[in-house]
Amino acid sequence: MKYTKLLIPLILFLFVTLFPTDTHAASYGVSLTPPLLRVNIKPGKSITQVFTITNLNNEDKLLVARMVPFTQSDDKGNPSIDMKSSPSWLNYFSLANTYIKLGSPFTVKAKSSEQLILTLSVPANAILRDLYGTLLITTYSNVASVAYQGSQVSATIGANLLVTLHSDINPPTILKSGILPNTGAFFKVGNIYLADNITPLSFSASVKNEGNFTSETKGIFKVTGRNDTPAYLEGILPVYVISNTQRILLNTEGRNFSFSPNLSQIGFFKAVIQINSENSHTENSIDIFFFPFKIMAGLIFASIFLTVILRTNKTQKIVDKPIKTLDH
Amino acid sequence: MFGFPQSPQAPFTTISPGRTMSVQTTSKTVNQRSHNAQSHLSNHLITTLCTISSLILYVIASIVLTFSFHYPVYADNLFSPSFEIDMGTVNITGGSKTSTTYRLSDTVGQTAQGQFNSAGYIVKAGFQYVRELTPFTFTVSNLDLNYGSLVPGTPSLLTNILTVTTGSAYGYTVKTLEDHPLRILNGSPTIADTSCNLASTCTQTDATVWDDDARYGFGYNIQGTDVDIADFVDNTYFRPFPIQDIDPPATVMSRSGIATASAATVTYKIYIAGSQAAGTYQNNIQYIAIPSF
Repeated sequence: MKYTKLLIPLILFLFVTLFPTDTHAASYGVSLTPPLLRVNIKPGKSITQVFTITNLNNEDKLLVARMVPFTQSDDKGNPSIDMKSSPSWLNYFSLANTYIKLGSPFTVKAKSSEQLILTLSVPANAILRDLYGTLLITTYSNVASVAYQGSQVSATIGANLLVTLHSDINPPTILKSGILPNTGAFFKVGNIYLADNITPLSFSASVKNEGNFTSETKGIFKVTGRNDTPAYLEGILPVYVISNTQRILLNTEGRNFSFSPNLSQIGFFKAVIQINSENSHTENSIDIFFFPFKIMAGLIFASIFLTVILRTNKTQKIVDKPIKTLDH
Repeated sequence: MFGFPQSPQAPFTTISPGRTMSVQTTSKTVNQRSHNAQSHLSNHLITTLCTISSLILYVIASIVLTFSFHYPVYADNLFSPSFEIDMGTVNITGGSKTSTTYRLSDTVGQTAQGQFNSAGYIVKAGFQYVRELTPFTFTVSNLDLNYGSLVPGTPSLLTNILTVTTGSAYGYTVKTLEDHPLRILNGSPTIADTSCNLASTCTQTDATVWDDDARYGFGYNIQGTDVDIADFVDNTYFRPFPIQDIDPPATVMSRSGIATASAATVTYKIYIAGSQAAGTYQNNIQYIAIPSF
């Protein structure tokens, strides 16, 4: 009897310990594709684009989709979304889904996908301009329902839309590019960069869109010698530059442009950034004089060193001479 | 270490008196001959080295004059049709072209102009330089940050993990903000957002150390991939959350380029004084993950 009294709590303890009830902290995991939509559209026309949302969680998720505008971005193409602004052109966008509307919550079942059919209908009298927006998909939360002390986290994922309203596919814009040596052994004299030709030289380049329409950074970075003969060529990573913003230009591997000259490359060269997009052209260059400065410095130093030693040697002999005379 | 080999007689040419004495023991003729021979040898050495030195300077001058004003001749003119890039069309195929002197990437597709004229639009989904159209993914490990009972004078810490995979996007940012400071539901008492230590106060975009026992509030630290480690130096550095509709969201993670499961751990800290009004404090924190374009 005594053992039975002990056995029951023990069994209960083991049961609770070994067979715990599954508890999951609420989490968020959503994917969205495509992450970018570039649209050139004439006024009076409509397009539809399907965005696929996938719920990666083990439970259903209540989400809400909405469009927010942006007008600015940083130099890496990250939009500065404006959550408070609601320009009238946001009405051009709507969802063609039967049960899902912009701004209204909808459920995406666990481990499944939902398609958002985004429609852009541009009125015939729309102003010819660029529209930039981000489609945001947010976890739908109701703070009032939280019973605990702390913070409820809501997560949002986005996809960018760059829309050009124009009757021409490539409305002209104004691009201005810039290029500067970034790292390497160089110094500037006037407008010429004097650089060592056994040290790789990297360049930072950028482009500014001073026009009203989006452009793309299609072009090349090249280093040319006399008569514009190319000594090095590299493609520019093609990215979009929205109006009145600046972007850093990178090579196709996402790094700064670099040029490793060799010993035979001595003299005047040009580092050139050349962008030839469909609606704009820009070119900028800097003059570089490559010379084996490091090697020459080494040789000069060696010469000076030799000269100093020789002079010391000579002086020593002059000092020695009178002493020998005294010996006589 | 440096210098030149000297003749055996060389030591006798020093000004050391002792050594001078030893010279006195040698006959004058021998000494004179020896001195002449040594002098001749040294002069010869000096002349040789001077010649070498002059030769080096001559080589330097020659290189300067030759290469500064030369006309470079290249075996191949790199301007050729293969460098013409026809991009900006709907992706059909693409590829990278590389050689020792150039590296280009392009796509080839149908002419956009024709399609635009007939249909009135052109739509490009995704990025040219990331050829597969794969999803942009964002996960947050825990959406419910339940601190339980807060103990005055004892920091309450909770964490969750943010993870981003860019897929076919080329770069991203994760930004954050809160709807309001932690406050009692339908009440006015709040736990103020931290301003960190008094010596160097933090802002919504600038993290500083927050370990002062006399500084109360609510803030966050973030550590991990694609976090600005110059700002969040270590886990003692905190920032207050920006407030929705008042402040712009603050960037907590960012990358220029492809990210595959970049993860960062956010630590939330609440530290209250004994005078803090009793109640259940709540707020909403939002994370916004947006790809670059």
